[in-house]
Amino acid sequence: MHDELSGEGFTIIGVAIDGDIDAIRTGATAISFPILMDPDHLVTELYAISNVPTVVWIDEDDRIVQPNWVAFGTDTFLEFTGIESEPQKDLIRSWVRDGTAMMSPEQARAAVEDLTTDEQQARLYFRIGAHLKRSGDEPGAQRNLKKAVELAPHDWTVRRAAMPLQGKDPFGEEFFTMYQEWQEAGSPYHGVASR
Amino acid sequence: MSQIGPLTAQDLTAITEAGHAGLGSRHMSHSNSAAIFQDGPYVSQAALRASLGWVLKPEGLCRDAVCVPVEDPAKLRSKENPDLLDIVAVAELIDRPAAIDAESGLVAIGLERSRRQRALHDLQAPDFTLSDLDGKPRSLSDYSKQKRLLFAFSSW
Repeated sequence: MHDELSGEGFTIIGVAIDGDIDAIRTGATAISFPILMDPDHLVTELYAISNVPTVVWIDEDDRIVQPNWVAFGTDTFLEFTGIESEPQKDLIRSWVRDGTAMMSPEQARAAVEDLTTDEQQARLYFRIGAHLKRSGDEPGAQRNLKKAVELAPHDWTVRRAAMPLQGKDPFGEEFFTMYQEWQEAGSPYHGVASR
Repeated sequence: MSQIGPLTAQDLTAITEAGHAGLGSRHMSHSNSAAIFQDGPYVSQAALRASLGWVLKPEGLCRDAVCVPVEDPAKLRSKENPDLLDIVAVAELIDRPAAIDAESGLVAIGLERSRRQRALHDLQAPDFTLSDLDGKPRSLSDYSKQKRLLFAFSSW
């Protein structure tokens, strides 16, 4: 997608909501767009992002044309998510080529709810936990990650992102437990779901 | 954990978007001291300026030419040592949330809430700077004048 459109005044900017630079590097070998590391989850705080992958369309004048939108670059998770990537890519192509937006500015302004106080605080405790993890204070890391997860149990960038730091498998049982609880809570998402 | 007296303190480190900065400890000279006391996370003016970029002046909390009036400056000051300021109370006055882990002496200071609210309501993309895979700092604004797909993803 990046290579196809990069000659047309377009770039993808990848932001890895992740502290594991080796894992990101391994996955990024065939990727030609810039990838930035965000181990402290600044971008999820700044844009009220609560799950990945999330994309934001930003135009030449720094206007957000399409806020937080669930979009997959491939069909790897199609069976699970039911989201096909090709129609999404067509929408992006037509925005790049003729400026067609998916939403009016009025709709875009109403599309993403602000973080709650708890979701905001969860990000800060996550940040402390990640910092302590990096500095080798394991009990301190766990103390703060636990607090973060308690504050935002349905926020994937908090609870699922904490799993690898807590010795849990983000693709295992813990994931399915979270998924079920998230669905029971009405599938909350800060952005526009895709279907 | 029980604490004895007002000076059972430890080092205090602030984590902000610019990284983390040790704010000094009670073991350092008094003018630069910063510590978590029993009644709050207090830092010196110098440490406040170094971490958040703001200082308390008679006209209020100031950064460069911008000043925010402070109704009751005494509330920001430590009762034990009025030269020290409550960094969480200061952060709140400049619209930044904070969380403290007293045990490790870490205080995380979030971004101004208004920056996110501007993104959501005014649709003006807030700039940010992060390191790329080679450790080189890059900003959203490095790619301005083109259409950008901000793609948040992860390995988890």
